[in-house]
Amino acid sequence: MRDAERRAWEVVKRAYEERTPARAARRPGRRLVLAVVVVLGALAAAVLSPPGRAVFHRVREAVGIQQAEPALFSLPAPGRLLVVSAEHGGVWLVHDNGLKRRLGAYDDAQWSPHGRFVIATRGDELIALDVDHGVRWSLARRGAVWPRWEGTRVDTRIAYLTPKGLRVVAGDGTGDHLLDRYAADVPAAWDPARLHTVAYFTGGAIVLREADSRRLVWRAPIRVTPSALEWSSDGRYLAVTAQHRVIVFDAGGHLRRTVSSLGSELIDVAFRPRTHRLAVSVRLQRRSEVRLVDIDHAVRARLLFAGPGIFGDIAWSPDGGTLLVAWPTADQWLFLHGSRVRAVANIKEQFPRADHQGPLLELAGRWCCSSLGSRDAVGR
Amino acid sequence: MAERAWIRGAQRGSVADLERLFREHWPRAYRAAHLVTGDAAAAEDIAQEAFLAAVRNLDRFDRSRPFAPWLHRIVVNRAIDWTRARKLRAEVELGDWLPGPPAPELDGSTLRHIAELPPEHRAVVVLRYVLEYTPGEIAKLLDLPRGTVNSRLRRGLDRMKEEVE
Repeated sequence: MRDAERRAWEVVKRAYEERTPARAARRPGRRLVLAVVVVLGALAAAVLSPPGRAVFHRVREAVGIQQAEPALFSLPAPGRLLVVSAEHGGVWLVHDNGLKRRLGAYDDAQWSPHGRFVIATRGDELIALDVDHGVRWSLARRGAVWPRWEGTRVDTRIAYLTPKGLRVVAGDGTGDHLLDRYAADVPAAWDPARLHTVAYFTGGAIVLREADSRRLVWRAPIRVTPSALEWSSDGRYLAVTAQHRVIVFDAGGHLRRTVSSLGSELIDVAFRPRTHRLAVSVRLQRRSEVRLVDIDHAVRARLLFAGPGIFGDIAWSPDGGTLLVAWPTADQWLFLHGSRVRAVANIKEQFPRADHQGPLLELAGRWCCSSLGSRDAVGR
Repeated sequence: MAERAWIRGAQRGSVADLERLFREHWPRAYRAAHLVTGDAAAAEDIAQEAFLAAVRNLDRFDRSRPFAPWLHRIVVNRAIDWTRARKLRAEVELGDWLPGPPAPELDGSTLRHIAELPPEHRAVVVLRYVLEYTPGEIAKLLDLPRGTVNSRLRRGLDRMKEEVE
C-alpha cells in the first residue's frame, strides 16, 4: 500500500502541477509544464454554432502542455527516430541531436534489427535503404505493405504482406517466398528469441512459424481480430492487440493474460525494452490515457499520462527510459521520463507535406538503436 | 479546522497542502476501493482517479463541506462500476485474476465474506463498517433512498453471517 500511495501521489502531484489553477501563483523559472484543462462539456455545446466553432478552435488550440518547446531541438535519449507521414507524406529520419531530414516519398518504413538500414515500401515496391547512401536494393511486389526486418548481424529476413499473403525475403533481397497465402492484413512480428521465426494472424489464430522451413511452432486460436502483434524484447511474451483488449501469450503460445480496456478503444501498445511492462494507449470518450501494465503482476496498471482529445502512436526510446506519446489534438509530442514530462509543440509544421495538408504521423516501433549497427546484413 | 486550510492552500497553489490532504485521505480511499473491488491494483487506480478528479475540481470545491464524503462517493461508485464491469470481462473466465493483498485491519475471513457479497451490498457494508458513515450519509453519498441502504446493509450482514456459520 505504501508503494501504491507513493505512485498515486506522483501522479496526483503531476496533475496538480499541470492544471491551470484559478489563483495559483506561478514560481518564476520553474520548468514545470502546465496543461490547460478543457471543459469538454462546454465544448459540445460550443461546436453547434459557427461562433461556437470559433470558440471550439480556440480552445482546441489551447489544449496541450503550455511551456512546451517550440521545436524538436533534440531527442531526450540516444537513438534515431523514423517518422512516417501517412497518406503519401513521406518518411523522415530524426537524429538525437535534432537533425531531421526527409528520406523520401515512401509509404512506410521500419529499421533493420541493428539500425543501419531501413526497409521501406512505396507503391508496389519493397526497398532496402542505407540511410546515408540511398537505395541498396528493391523488389517489385504488388501491394507490399508492413515490412518487418529481423535477424543477426550476418543473416536477416524481412517479412511483409501483400494482397496474396505473407511473404519473406532475405536481407539482401534474395530468396523471396510466400509463407502463408491466408495471412490476414495484420503486420507480422518476428520472435526475438527464435531466429527467423515469425508470428502472424491467419485463419482466426495467431501462428508462430519458422520462415525458412515453414515449420509450424504453435497455433493459438483467438476470437478477436487483432490490429497489431508485439513481442517483449526477450521473446517471452507476445502481446496481441485488438480493439478493446490486449491478449498476451507466452513463448509457448499459451494464453498468459488479457488486459481489457473495458470498452475504450486501444490505440497502441509497446513493450518497454528489456522489461515485461507494456505501455498501453487508450482512447476514452473525452480524453486519452497512457498506462503501464506489468505483465508479470496481474492487473497492475499505472497511469502515466492523461489528456483531453486523442493520443496517437507511442514509442519507447531504445534505452527504455523515455516514452514518446504523440498527441495530435494538441499538435505536440510528449516525452515521459519517470515523473517528468517534456513537451514539444508545432509538430505538424516540422514534418510538412508538399500538398500543405496536415500530416498524420506514425512512430510506433520506429525509435531505434542508440549506436550504429555497422554490420547489419544486407547480405544474408 | 486543518482540512479547510489545506484545501484553501491547495486552491492557492500549495503543493504541500495538497500533499497533506492526500496523505490524510489516501489510506481510507484506497482501503474502501480495495474492499469493494477485492483487487489491489484496481483499488490503486480507483483511489488515484478519485484524487485526480479532486484536483480537476479543486477550484470549484466548497470549503465549507467536508472533503472525505465527496471523495468516498467517487471511490465507491467507481469501485462498484469496476466490479460490475469485471464480471463481463474474459479475464475472470480465463482465471487470470489474482486477488491483491488483504487490507491490514481486517482478517482474511472477513475480507473473503465481504468479497462474496454483490458489489452494491459490498459498497454499503464498507461505507458503514469500515469508513463508519451513518446510513443517512451513505444514502446521500450513493444517491439511494435510506430504506435501500438499510435493506442492503441488512441483507449484506445476513449473508455474511450465513457464510460465517
